[in-house]
Amino acid sequence: MKNLYRPIESVIEDIKPETPNITTYRFRPKEPVTFAAGQFVELTVPGVGEAPFTPSSNPNVKDTLEITIMRVGTVTAALEKMKVGDTVGLRGPYGKGYNMEDFYGKEVLIMGGGVGLAPLRSLILALFDEIDKFKKISIRYGARTPEDIVYRDLLPEWEKMKNTEVLLTIDEPHPEWSGTVGVVTVLLDGLPLLTTVDVEDLPFHAESAVACVCGPPIMLKFVNMTLLEKGFKPENIYHSMERNMSCGLGKCGHCMMGEYYICKDGPVMTAAQIAKFEDPF
Amino acid sequence: MREVFIGRENLRKLIGRWAKERRVYVPVTFDIMNHEETPDYELVGDAVPENMQLHGAAPAHAPKSFLFYPREVVAKYPSSDPEADVSAPPTIVVGPRGCDVRGLQKFDKVYWSTENFTEEYDDPFYIEKRKNTFIVSVDCTAAKETCFCTRVGGEPYPEDGFDLNLAPIEPGFVVTVGSEKGDTLLVGNDDLLMEVRPEHLEERTRNRNSVAEAVNRHNAEFEVDAAYDKYDLEGTLDAWMEVTQNCVACSACNRTCPTCTCFLLVDQPATGGYERTRNWDTCLSIGFARTGGGGNSRAALAERLRNRLRCKFEYSRDRYGLVTCTGCGRCIDVCMGKIDMREAIKHVLTENAKV
Repeated sequence: MKNLYRPIESVIEDIKPETPNITTYRFRPKEPVTFAAGQFVELTVPGVGEAPFTPSSNPNVKDTLEITIMRVGTVTAALEKMKVGDTVGLRGPYGKGYNMEDFYGKEVLIMGGGVGLAPLRSLILALFDEIDKFKKISIRYGARTPEDIVYRDLLPEWEKMKNTEVLLTIDEPHPEWSGTVGVVTVLLDGLPLLTTVDVEDLPFHAESAVACVCGPPIMLKFVNMTLLEKGFKPENIYHSMERNMSCGLGKCGHCMMGEYYICKDGPVMTAAQIAKFEDPF
Repeated sequence: MREVFIGRENLRKLIGRWAKERRVYVPVTFDIMNHEETPDYELVGDAVPENMQLHGAAPAHAPKSFLFYPREVVAKYPSSDPEADVSAPPTIVVGPRGCDVRGLQKFDKVYWSTENFTEEYDDPFYIEKRKNTFIVSVDCTAAKETCFCTRVGGEPYPEDGFDLNLAPIEPGFVVTVGSEKGDTLLVGNDDLLMEVRPEHLEERTRNRNSVAEAVNRHNAEFEVDAAYDKYDLEGTLDAWMEVTQNCVACSACNRTCPTCTCFLLVDQPATGGYERTRNWDTCLSIGFARTGGGGNSRAALAERLRNRLRCKFEYSRDRYGLVTCTGCGRCIDVCMGKIDMREAIKHVLTENAKV
C-alpha cells in the first residue's frame, strides 16, 4: 500500500531572493509533483520537519515548481541555509484549489498582502495562460515598505498583459515611494459601494466579479468586510485560509475549523463557506 | 449472529490456546494498598494471568493504542520506494467495552477512509493493524460513576463492530460471533464450547438492563433538554471560561479518549538518513493550531476545551455523521482538575438558554 507520509526527493535548482526575508526557490522533484492553482504541498527540510506551502509557479509547468517562502519558523530558517543542488522533500498536492472555469467570462480581482502574493502568482500565471477567457484581471497588492514588495521584476510585465491592471500600495510613507500609501484595503477605495453601483462605466461589477484574496489573517478579515460591503457575493470571494496543515490528508486534525479540514476542504475557501464562524481568520 | 456458551475455566483455556499463536492482551487488575486498580491490558505470556478481570466496567485505556501507536515510524527517507513498510503481528485484544468498540468507528472513518468514508487517503499503518487485530469485546457488568454511554446513544455492551463478544453470566460467558474473522478464533475449539441455553440469554438480558439502568440512574442529574446529537455547544466564551477554570491543559482527556485520532509528524535524523514519526497529539496543547507565522486560532484554553467537546458532539457529527463521544467517562476519570464534561455540557447549554 502506498505510503502517504513519504517525502519525494526534490533538488533545489534555483534560489532567488525577493526581499530581505522572502526567497523564491525552484525545485525539481525526482517523481512528478504537480498541482492546480491554490493547492498546496508539504515541504520537508530533511531531519528538521515539514511545513505546508502553496507553490507560486505556473501550475501548467509540470517538471519543476517554485515556492516563495518567508522566513518565520524552524523549517523556513533551516531552508534558508540550504544551497542550489541540495535535496529537500515534497508531498502533495493537497486540498482544493481554484476552479478556473468558475472565473470564465468574469472580472477577476486579485488581492494580495505581503508574501500572500506568492500563491496568487500561481493563479495569475494560470489565468494568463487563458487570458481571453476573463473579462478583466485586476491585481492589487500591498506590502509594508517598497523593499518588501515581492516579484518586483515581474509586476511591470504583468501590467502589460491584455485586460490586466496592477495596483500597488505600501503601509507607511517612504522617501523612495511615490505611489499609493495605506493598508491594502485602500486599493479598494476606487470600487463603488453597493448602494451606488451603476453598471457599465464602473471599474468593477461587484455583483458578478470574483475576488481571490491571500495575505495575513488580519488583512483577510478587513478585505472580506470591504468586499462584502462593496457588493461582492460571499460565494465569489475566495480566501486562502491560514491553518497548521501538518499531514495534508484530513487526518492529523491540526487544521480543523469546525467540521472542515482546511487541508481537504480548503485551503481556498469562499466567504460563504466560512460565514458561520465568528472569526474564521 | 452465532452464539455459544463457554465456562470460566474453558475461556481461560481458549485464551491460552490463542496466546500460543498470536499476541493476546487481556485486562488484569492489581490490589495496590488494599485498593483495586482499574483493570488495564497486559500481554498474555506462558499462562493466562490469574488476575485477569473481565467483570466490571471498561479497562483504564481505550483500545486505540493497539491500532494507532502513541509513536510510530511512518517513513524513512530519502527513499524512492512508494510502498509503506507495514507489518502487524496478529493480535487479539480481549476486553474493549461497547463504548470502545463504537469508538473504533471514528478511527475507521479517518484512517480507513476509502472503505468507511468518502475520502481518498488510506493510512497503511492503521489498516494493516486493523486487519490483523481481533476485537473480543466484553459486556459491562457494572458501571462507574463516570460512565454515560446510554446518554450518548450507546449501551453498556456492543451491538456490532466486534469479532467476538463475551457476556459474563454466573456460570461463564455467552460468546457472540460478530464477524467471519471472529469465527476463526473458535475453529478447532469445539471441545471448550457448549450450546447456549435460553436461561443464559435471559441472564445476559437481565445484566444488560440492570447496568443500563444504573448508568441512566446516576446520570439523571446531568439531564439536558437537547438530544445528544443536536447539541450546539458554541455558548459564550464566558461560560467556557468557567468550565475551564481548573484545566491545566495536561491533555490526559485527549490521550485516554477512545475517539481522539489526532497526531503530529516529527522528523529526526536516523541511521542512513532521516525518519518521520507519527505521535499522538492533543488539541488542548497551546501549539496545536499555531501556524508558522505565529497565528493561533485557539490561543485561549477555553477555546481549546470548547473545540474538543464540539469536535466530539458537533464537528464529527457534521463531517462523519458520527457523534464521537461514546460516554466511556475516561476523560472524567483522569482529569486532575475534576472537570466533568457532563457538567460542562449542562452548564454551557443552560447559559445558552439564558442568552
